[in-house]
Amino acid sequence: MTSVSSAAEPAPASAPLVGRHDVNRKRMARLGWVFSAPALIFVAAVTIFPIVYSVVMSLSNVTVTGNGFKLSGVTGSNYTLVLKNSTWHYALGFTIVYTLITVAVELVIGTLIALVLQRLTAGRGWMMALLLIPWSMITVINAELWLYVFNGIYGVMDAIFNAVGLGHPNFLGTNDPAIISLMIADIWKTTPFVAIIVLAGLVMLPGDIFEAAEVDGSSGWSTFWRITVPLLRPTLALAVMFRVLQAFGLFDLPYVMTGGGPGTATTSLAILGYDAMFKNLSFGPGAAVATTTALLVLLGCLISLRTFRVQVGKEDM
Amino acid sequence: MGRTRKGWRRVINGVNISAFFVTLFIALPLYWLIISSFKTPVAMGDSPPQYWPSPFSGANYSQAFVQYDFGIYFRNSLIVTLCATALVLVFGTVAGYALGRLPMRGKFTLMVTLLIISVFPEIALIAPLYLLERNFGILNSYEALIIPYTAFNLPFAIWILRNYMLGIPKEMEETGRIDGAGPLRTVWSIILPMALPGLFTAGIFCFTACWTEFLMALTFESVNNWRTIPVGIAEFGTPLEVPYGTIFAASVVAVVPIGILVFIFRKFVISGLTSGAVKG
Repeated sequence: MTSVSSAAEPAPASAPLVGRHDVNRKRMARLGWVFSAPALIFVAAVTIFPIVYSVVMSLSNVTVTGNGFKLSGVTGSNYTLVLKNSTWHYALGFTIVYTLITVAVELVIGTLIALVLQRLTAGRGWMMALLLIPWSMITVINAELWLYVFNGIYGVMDAIFNAVGLGHPNFLGTNDPAIISLMIADIWKTTPFVAIIVLAGLVMLPGDIFEAAEVDGSSGWSTFWRITVPLLRPTLALAVMFRVLQAFGLFDLPYVMTGGGPGTATTSLAILGYDAMFKNLSFGPGAAVATTTALLVLLGCLISLRTFRVQVGKEDM
Repeated sequence: MGRTRKGWRRVINGVNISAFFVTLFIALPLYWLIISSFKTPVAMGDSPPQYWPSPFSGANYSQAFVQYDFGIYFRNSLIVTLCATALVLVFGTVAGYALGRLPMRGKFTLMVTLLIISVFPEIALIAPLYLLERNFGILNSYEALIIPYTAFNLPFAIWILRNYMLGIPKEMEETGRIDGAGPLRTVWSIILPMALPGLFTAGIFCFTACWTEFLMALTFESVNNWRTIPVGIAEFGTPLEVPYGTIFAASVVAVVPIGILVFIFRKFVISGLTSGAVKG
């Protein structure tokens, strides 16, 4: 520590500043690299290698040996296998539909909650604190909680359905109810996240536009669609993008709640990839599933950004 | 008469009624989690369920620690989470300072690369990471999780910290330079105190992410002694019998520390969620 600081000790402040600037700048840039190197090397070592290796693995014949894997040859067979596989088709469709529905519902409910909180005169701080609890909750706990709620024998949802005369539906044992149960668990946990972001966006909107709209006799509904929503677009885009990313990687909830079932009804791409790799030890096809998922995620990101027409991080760089 | 109605109107209006339903929507499942943890193991299976535990029982709590190794999982989670968060903050602050304030070339490319890395789905990296850890012989250890958690949380922390560093006036650094302080000293004694809100934000996000992470913990820690809370809770019981009461007791204990942290630092969580570099 001391050696770094003494090596980069600046010249006395009284020294002439002219002509020293470039040297100083260069030294500062070098210092920048010294400072960021530990973090960048760390991140690169742990993430870049696996990313590259994952792609390589998906293009090779992988055999599992006693102490790891053996990769041989370049082949597209993992991808043809995956692309022709009906479970993959289902998992892809399921993951996309699941993502679209949950994110849409979360966006609508989240925005409504944000609009309510914005108008709330008392207790807003407490509401925010309450909203943060589901956000910070371990997903496995959330899954166990809803598993208990949807239990067919002693679950509270079963009791409610029975009490209003809807009988005893098998929530987690039949396809569509199982999917809906997963979605409810997901929506409960992540809607608060959307609400907080949207609320922060709402608070930052310039108030005089709304006053002007009111003076012009604009109704609440048209003000919302014509002014609030367009102004909120960047905020909504970020909320949607990060929710899409998360929902697309769906793993914890089905792993605990349904194990991907009944049958393959709740098998997401991540569950499929995990099972392929760590249950069936088919690492080649598993890597192909993982790589296609990663590509789809990046694609999804670009599409969300395009849809909402925003650019992230361009400002102030 | 008119007066009272007006008073009523002030309390019972659309906004407050909606807020009431929002509170119900969020609080009811939490209520269910907490009261179920106090039911007796037999009452857990009542149909229709008990809406209030009677008798009140602490059996689930003692069972979580005695029959299941929740104490071990809690300790493991705490060690892994604290170490990863500390590393992220140390590396992230220095790098965030450099990327925010020092004249480096290619900063934009670096920041975008970091952003892309931070959105990469875990499932895509899990197999090669598993192989790497196996070759280095660190599966079933604290490092098995501390290293990837640090690496995966650093990009977001660097973004947050860089944004805070950008906001610090340039004169502050020059004061340090005139006093003859070296660059690390300047970061330590002048920049760091001013970037403290950013550190809280990055810290609480990293803590939450590590505390809740499941896939890597599941894959890299196959031995019970090294499991963290999420995996430990998921493995409670047998395939035939799921001890929900014990699971919920453990869950309440797992939710409390992070709940307190998030409550104390809620200002920073919200500023982190809205700083433009959002992450769920």
